[in-house]
Amino acid sequence: MTLQPEDFWSFGEWLLRPGAFFESALLQGIALIVLAAVIGLIIGYLVAAARYGPSEGFYSVARIIRDFVREDAPGTSIRRIYALARLAFQEAIRRKVLFVVGLFIVLLMFAGWYLDPKSDDPARLYISFVLTSTNYLLLLLALFISTASLPNDIKNKTIYTIVTKPVRATEIILGRVFGFIAVGTLMIVPMAIASYFFVTGDLNHTHQIETSSTLSDDTVVGQTTEDRGHRHSFTLDSDGIGATDTQRGHQHPVYLEDGEIVVGSAQGMLRARVPVYGELAFFDRSGRPAQQGINVGYEDRKGGFASAGLARLVNTAGTQARRIQHGYVEGASLSRGEYLFSGVTPSKYPEGLPLEFTLRAFRSLKGDIITGVQGTITVQHPTQPIESNPFRFEVEEYQVDEQFIPLEMEGTKITETGTLNLFDDLVDENGNVKIVVRCIDPGQYLGMTQSDVYLKPAENPFAWNLMKGFISIWLQMVLIICFGVMFSTFLNGSVAMLATFVCVVLGFSAETVYEARYYQEVGRNMGGGPIESLVRTLRQDAFTTELDVESAPKMIIKSVDSVIMYCLDLLVTALPNLPKMMQTAEFVASGFDVFGGLLLRHIATTLCYLVMTCTIAYFFLKTREIAA
Amino acid sequence: MDTDSTAIADNVDGAASKSDSSNVVIETRSLSKVYRDFWGRKKVQALKPLDIEVKQGEIFGLLGPNGSGKSTTIKLILGLLFPTSGRVLVFDQDASETKKNERVGYLPEESYLYKFLNAEETLDFYGRLFDMSGAQRAARVDELIKMVGLDKARHRQLREYSKGMTRRVGLAQALINNPDLILLDEPTTGLDPIGTREMKDLILQLRDEGKTVLLCSHQLADVQDVCDRVAILHQGELKELGRVDELLKVQDVTEIHATGLSDSAKQEIRDLIARSGGEVKSIDNPTTTMEQLFLQIVRESDERPGMRRVSEREAAQGEN
Repeated sequence: MTLQPEDFWSFGEWLLRPGAFFESALLQGIALIVLAAVIGLIIGYLVAAARYGPSEGFYSVARIIRDFVREDAPGTSIRRIYALARLAFQEAIRRKVLFVVGLFIVLLMFAGWYLDPKSDDPARLYISFVLTSTNYLLLLLALFISTASLPNDIKNKTIYTIVTKPVRATEIILGRVFGFIAVGTLMIVPMAIASYFFVTGDLNHTHQIETSSTLSDDTVVGQTTEDRGHRHSFTLDSDGIGATDTQRGHQHPVYLEDGEIVVGSAQGMLRARVPVYGELAFFDRSGRPAQQGINVGYEDRKGGFASAGLARLVNTAGTQARRIQHGYVEGASLSRGEYLFSGVTPSKYPEGLPLEFTLRAFRSLKGDIITGVQGTITVQHPTQPIESNPFRFEVEEYQVDEQFIPLEMEGTKITETGTLNLFDDLVDENGNVKIVVRCIDPGQYLGMTQSDVYLKPAENPFAWNLMKGFISIWLQMVLIICFGVMFSTFLNGSVAMLATFVCVVLGFSAETVYEARYYQEVGRNMGGGPIESLVRTLRQDAFTTELDVESAPKMIIKSVDSVIMYCLDLLVTALPNLPKMMQTAEFVASGFDVFGGLLLRHIATTLCYLVMTCTIAYFFLKTREIAA
Repeated sequence: MDTDSTAIADNVDGAASKSDSSNVVIETRSLSKVYRDFWGRKKVQALKPLDIEVKQGEIFGLLGPNGSGKSTTIKLILGLLFPTSGRVLVFDQDASETKKNERVGYLPEESYLYKFLNAEETLDFYGRLFDMSGAQRAARVDELIKMVGLDKARHRQLREYSKGMTRRVGLAQALINNPDLILLDEPTTGLDPIGTREMKDLILQLRDEGKTVLLCSHQLADVQDVCDRVAILHQGELKELGRVDELLKVQDVTEIHATGLSDSAKQEIRDLIARSGGEVKSIDNPTTTMEQLFLQIVRESDERPGMRRVSEREAAQGEN
């Protein structure tokens, strides 16, 4: 799992962005809500002005504001919201939306046929499957129920009996939103429970004993049978307690039962590592600090754009390139990656540092193809020339390698060699320590990101982590419901659904839009904006050539395109970044704990959009003639 | 037949009570409505400037053929539509105020109810929209279900209901908050004769309880039976406004009910009338039916635009 730099921010850093408040989420959120109110007022004014003339339009907008402040906001009653939410809930339930849950269970029953338990990482496969299928099913469902209901009520005129009761626009909107959220919750809970049992149940397996031999000290060693594409070797001590080795991220206990050797169920397959990340710094082949590692090709396509918030609005972020994802260090040179970990204390790590890493290898020559690319890990004092002897490892790509740094190790303290103590010699008084990663094969490269080397002081229960994955799905569902209800206040059912869908798609393509804008800003020919692309398509021009038209039309095309791209950029920046939220599924599937800060960020984002969409919906419902 | 020129002249509708505005429940001030299409082009003038006042405790009927602006008026009163010009005041508040709905009950043209709920759930739901405690609500729901005679069907979903039954639930939901003003849009459509009678009795009963009822209908018999005053609309224009009994008086015909005339006297009846020889039981203006009045208005409408009553009264005043 690869994280972007902004993923490491704590909730506070994300919200306030110390030092770059202009890029902060808080500012963006406030801007969104204010913008929603302003757009609502402007549209409300235009509608009213078209209907009654400019001055009357102004009066009616003023009345909406007055109504909101004096009547609707203070008069909104929880009781009525509850009644309306209950109605929306009953409506959905009696329309048999719970059928979707049944569909999901059926899907799970047959999923076993298609999911290969022999794969290298079955846990990832299974977890990704349940989370992705729940995610799409629920988003689709949210799209349908949230956009259909209010237009239906208006079409069937059932809304007449509601708005002629002392019901306020705020209550109609919030009632819907909360009712649908309740429906979604009712669906996601059984889906989550079924998913949990499906994953834990289907991944569990045992092996039989194939060969075993007793050693002189009564220890039994042997091999298990091959099941699900792998076998284990095991040892059983004379007390009858033993274990297999670790294969594909899990091991089995081995014990004696009635004189027979029995292999127990799989353990450690489903994990929720709680990593502690360090700060990564790269050094080039001559040992000088470098901005980033070596780009071995297309790394700049995989990295994301920096999260810039409102900075995109004032055009400072348009020229920001994608960051490169994996930075590589060159083998057998001074090139290295240094991770600075802080908060390393004896109380947290009493037995040593449990280091885990997932590095990438890049071979520029064939070399020895039997052994993997080799590297070393060295523990260093952050400021003084004290370092341990290197720990060698052979990189296993796409799997988690483990390296335990013990309390005592051989090393060099300034000039003298000897035994070093981790906490006495290598960790400084502030609890900082450096882990240095090098590649030792000449001509080969090791790639790393900040998230690739971490300390693992603890694990969280898998069930709780899976639940956090589902909470994230739930939040996405809430977002879709908010947008659906907002659009359904002024569009009819199918159009509202389409509009919501377009918002989702635009949210998903934010990075693509940023990229197109970036190329435009830096003047690189990469297809250009929509009009230029259309011209190129019609002329069958390649997209990296200079646009082959007269200079005057070219200027017009380019400037219109840049305006369109700027607006599109603003739009996608304003929309929820759903891929970012879906990333939590990747955390769970990769066996990493979804950290609280990330979930909190998603919750805050969802709340912001709830307020924004409800504000817009309020204006539309207020200006709308219900019976027209 | 003799022409009675000394017709009852005081059929000026409630001119006396017009002064005390505290009793006015609904007041429309040159209320008009133009329906526009998406581009804001004028499609139809649904209501030409309308001034009516509905007073507390009366049953006021809005009458007119299809498309005459009855429903538009009711929707404007409820705030479901926004007036193109003019104002509606309900309980001295603007029609767009939500607060007024605390005291209003509305039975829509067709009962637009949630078909997936049963009668009890429906009423319970509408009850929750008002300030009522759970116990109060339960009692009120039960009372209303019994009142509209759906006790046996209270747990059936509304989708299974007949039109008449749905209508009754609709009426019950309009009364859930014990409103002071009840707006009934075509209250008797879809009801059988017994149901119609019950509905009329109920309307009268509500009036007796001091409530104000505004109903619109093209079922003329209903209006004739229960309304105290009616406004007749045609093509969005107010044609007649007044007390029902007075509107139905025919002023240029005298009707004589007589008894005690012998067979021979029957021969001389014209003479006897001329000389006032017989015993006259009653000499009065006969009443027409609402239907005749209605048809007459529709017939005259094209020839004489504007409010019919006004032009006639002016003519009468000219004579006097």
